[in-house]
Amino acid sequence: MTSASMTASAQRAEFRAAGTDLSERRRSGVSKGPLIDLAAAPDTIGVSWGADGAATIGALTSIAAIAADPRIAAAYPGIAAAALGLATPQVRHLATLGGNLAQRSRCWYFRDPHIACLKKGGGDCPARTGNHLYGVAFDLGPCVAPHPSTMAAALLAYDASIVTSQRPGISIGELLGDGSNGTSDHALASDEMIRGVELPAPLAGERALYKRAISRSHAEWPLVEVCARAVVTSGTFQFIRIAAGGIAPVPLRLAACEAALQGKPAGAAVIAEAARQAASGATPLPMTGYKLDLLEGVVHDVLERLAT
Amino acid sequence: MSTMTINGRPVPLPDDPDALLVDVIRDDLDLTGTKLVCGAGVCGACTVLVDGAPVVSCLMPARAAANTAVTTVEGIGATQLHPVQKAFMAHDALQCGFCTPGLVVEAAAFCDSWRASKGTATPSREEIGAALSGHLCRCGAYDGIFNAVAAACAGQFDGIEIAPPRVEARAKVTGSAKYTVDIRHDGQQEGIILRSQLAHARITELDLAPARAIPGVSAAVSLLGDDGMVRFVGDPIAAVAAKDRKTAEAAIAAIKMNSERLPSVIGLDAARKPDSPVVFAKASRKKAGNVSEGTPAPAAWNGNVRGPSAAFSQKARKARNWIAAERERQNPWLVEETFRTGTQSHTSLEPHATVARFDGDRLTVHASTQSVFHVMEMIAKRYKFGHDKVRVIADHVGGGFGSKGTLGMETIAAIDLAREAKAPVRIAYDRHEELSVTGYRPATELKIALLPSEQGDLKALSLTAYADTGAATNSTLAALARLIYPAEAKELADYDVISNLPPGAPFRGPGGPPMAFALEQAIDEAALRMKLDPIALRKRWDPNPNRQRLYDWAAGLDVWRNRKTEAAQTGRYRRGVGVATGYWLYLWQPGVKIELKVEGGRLIASTATQDIGQGSRTVIANTVAHEFGLEPHDIDVRIGDSSLPEGPGAGGSRSTASVIPSTLLAVRKLKEAIERSAKRKPVPGSNAPWREMIAASPDLSVASVRPEDGKPIDAGVRSPMKEAGFMGMIFGWMLRRFSNLAVGAGVPSSVQVIEVEVDTWLGHVRVLNVHTGIAVGKIAAPALARSQATGSVIQGLGYALYEARETDPRRGDVLSAGMEDYRIPGVSDTPAISVHFDEAGFDHVLGGSVGIGEVATVPTSPALANAIRNAIGIRLTEIPIRPDRLISALKGRSAA
Repeated sequence: MTSASMTASAQRAEFRAAGTDLSERRRSGVSKGPLIDLAAAPDTIGVSWGADGAATIGALTSIAAIAADPRIAAAYPGIAAAALGLATPQVRHLATLGGNLAQRSRCWYFRDPHIACLKKGGGDCPARTGNHLYGVAFDLGPCVAPHPSTMAAALLAYDASIVTSQRPGISIGELLGDGSNGTSDHALASDEMIRGVELPAPLAGERALYKRAISRSHAEWPLVEVCARAVVTSGTFQFIRIAAGGIAPVPLRLAACEAALQGKPAGAAVIAEAARQAASGATPLPMTGYKLDLLEGVVHDVLERLAT
Repeated sequence: MSTMTINGRPVPLPDDPDALLVDVIRDDLDLTGTKLVCGAGVCGACTVLVDGAPVVSCLMPARAAANTAVTTVEGIGATQLHPVQKAFMAHDALQCGFCTPGLVVEAAAFCDSWRASKGTATPSREEIGAALSGHLCRCGAYDGIFNAVAAACAGQFDGIEIAPPRVEARAKVTGSAKYTVDIRHDGQQEGIILRSQLAHARITELDLAPARAIPGVSAAVSLLGDDGMVRFVGDPIAAVAAKDRKTAEAAIAAIKMNSERLPSVIGLDAARKPDSPVVFAKASRKKAGNVSEGTPAPAAWNGNVRGPSAAFSQKARKARNWIAAERERQNPWLVEETFRTGTQSHTSLEPHATVARFDGDRLTVHASTQSVFHVMEMIAKRYKFGHDKVRVIADHVGGGFGSKGTLGMETIAAIDLAREAKAPVRIAYDRHEELSVTGYRPATELKIALLPSEQGDLKALSLTAYADTGAATNSTLAALARLIYPAEAKELADYDVISNLPPGAPFRGPGGPPMAFALEQAIDEAALRMKLDPIALRKRWDPNPNRQRLYDWAAGLDVWRNRKTEAAQTGRYRRGVGVATGYWLYLWQPGVKIELKVEGGRLIASTATQDIGQGSRTVIANTVAHEFGLEPHDIDVRIGDSSLPEGPGAGGSRSTASVIPSTLLAVRKLKEAIERSAKRKPVPGSNAPWREMIAASPDLSVASVRPEDGKPIDAGVRSPMKEAGFMGMIFGWMLRRFSNLAVGAGVPSSVQVIEVEVDTWLGHVRVLNVHTGIAVGKIAAPALARSQATGSVIQGLGYALYEARETDPRRGDVLSAGMEDYRIPGVSDTPAISVHFDEAGFDHVLGGSVGIGEVATVPTSPALANAIRNAIGIRLTEIPIRPDRLISALKGRSAA
């Protein structure tokens, strides 16, 4: 049942960092083409700090190292919490920041070597008309799988800039696209690799949180995840950034929600109303309406804690 | 060539860029303590240390290990056991042991780093849970794991020796225990099965020659039935054996085949439509699988719906009429509801696996099975071999839960391939196969009506069950409602709904948990409407003496007495307490024989049973040791080999009740034989008279067969089959005649009280504590019985909260065929669990003990749903109660 086009797309060389995503696809046969192993260079591993307090994180830095770095935790608590919240300890020790951003979809149709789908050169999305229990609630393109990268959601909240082997600095939006291209999980050229991530210097007094909704306690792909940053002075939201994952083909800024908070008092009523705005513009699928309720809940939770 | 050091020894690494560290460790270096389970970094069974850090070796390219130091479980306890290993043994933090090596590696690393920075402080449950969040244990030994890790960190196991309560624990914590997947013979070939990608088709042409032509391929066989049909995605078509997996995969891809695609139907709702394509034509109905342990009784077929099976009804027409009349009258006490339960996959961590080897006309089969003896009989029958020519071996089995009770395709294919290859062949299912084609507890739709009388007695009960059995039949759910809560009339009807999905299989108390999910919530609802305490109502309606005692225990629990009404709850987090009851049959296997020997001054007990984690080795050792005044480790227990005297299958909770009475009889015989042959009596006043006599005894051997039980002594103890009238007697007779299972008197019972906290914003349920009261007679191995009890609760919580097999509604593929999508409980999902054993009620059984494995999981899902009802005032009628369902119920949104 493997179509010719599927085979052709699978033949493209893939970069391998730690291989925590790729190894499973190699074993199952979803990925069959040549591999290019990435070797760490001084600028692609570890964290460097600018005089203004801004960090640059090398693409091959492990997720565990990011989660455990006390300076990252102090300057970018949302990044540290996101790193600590994803996968399992034994995966975080191996997995890299660049690999997390460039990982492939977790859609169960994509991961099944016997089922054709858009991301494997097929003509349509079998999840859209099939079982999309964990699919998107913001339907932005032909593929209905949410983007799997937790770090991308967090970096979106931080207005991070991605340095690639070909481009000096692109946004998360430029890295991942707008969700309208169902055939890939990122917009990198076939020979383009991520070298690092530049973070802007933290704002004075900013706080940040990361939270995901899952069914168990740990170690589960998020149904909905949110990374939010805020500067609250004199009881007012002076600055607010909210990014969400698990709900769309790419991580989304929750603009309506931010607008409902910017310059407003950080009180219960404003927060509750802003949380209700989280789902504005959503276009849920038949099986994903619940994600909007969860999104409201996670945003509410995070904002309440940011405001106190 | 690059190298790594492993457990201090330098070894070369392969050049193959696709070689993974786990394969190098297991296949090239034969360090089989490291296990491959999920292959996706989810379960942690493959965890090793790389330069001191725990990593998943199933995802780590072997290349990446160049110039690193790798430590496997074999390196953790190499010179002396790590405190974590001793703690796991002492706290019985394991059952089947398949996840144990990975957990030991992680916990040892955690313990070492904890000790380095925190001394002998005790880590919290949250800290332990986070550290071990990358590990899954399907037996649910988490309660012991928490205790073990905390105690090891606190320094309680530094430098001491311990005698573990589980006799084979040392082999499991050091990784030396060999499971079927670890067996490797010289010249062994690797087998793979070609499976259908279509849900329904006729294979019109199958050409294996291109596969056989590939160098390194040693055999290729067809697995198709005589009709050439495939009836589900994953139905076996052919199998190949080759020198390695990669070559076998190439051979599978080379097989040429033509097929005629047939219309298919997927799942409970579609298959009940009158015009749905028929899965089994009349002539092929015998090819359907069996989801129960008993032989199917005849039933009518209507398209894909088989049933009603309604033999356990009692005045069915009266029940129907009374309920209809009260519905008309809008009787507020009449409870009517439709419940749905999800498909639960067994998810044994050791996959179905077999290694078959011919030596001349003798066949030796290592199999991951729950029944070495029965599988030997089935192989002998299928291949027309004498029993003496077939030997089935299973030293250790990495979980089964009902899915490994019979002769499976992995064994048939391995034998067929070994015969053609003239070489040993191993087949070990990958995780996708394990989670899609090895059986499951069928999903159900349960329509229940429960009618109290005006006086407050139970007047009538109606339960109609539709089970989503796939390519199988014989679900028995509604019938089970006959044997609890007597009523004036009961209408009980079971239907199998057959579709083009893989066949279901027996799963821990087949039919029990879904039946209880409906019945126990209906009882709870009746109590609410009658304004009665739910435990008091059960006491009134359920006269069983075992459960009467458990109700008294439950009613006295503080958590029950202090529970609030749902109206008292506001805010984001709401707490609730629920109760539910479960029962299971007391089954034992006639003909079970124990051989007891003195050999070279040691006692040896032998029987062809097997230990899938339930602890039969220990039960036998404890029983013999107790009778002779010895320690369990003084007894050699030999099991897991069909050439030993006939032993019980590990299913139907029959093991303990089958082996203890035979063992006690054998002990009596052996004592007499030892005394007869003793040259002199023990020294007067000796503390260990039998130890001395055994040491001085010549070699002796006796054997005893499982005796029939005596007449029940206690009031109200009867065979439940007799309570079910004439049809019950017939059912009991059939079970004994065709399934070699006897239904004993007395009813193993369990009552659970569960407290939950519901996060109404995130649709999340946190289980705070579980109290499980269990009446299964005398406890033969207390630590292991406790582990069975807590593990049953944890598996029940998985059923209630997380676990659901998901399929494609048209193609019929199982989508949740990886462990990230099929979600079993993790260590941090484990609540505080208190276990109460009521040891009375089975004095008519020699030894007084019956099995625990099934009854202990029956009431968990309804107790949890009743607790959620108490917390939020909404009754959740469908499990698993995932965030999507709970948040939709809270927000009034219709769920997916």
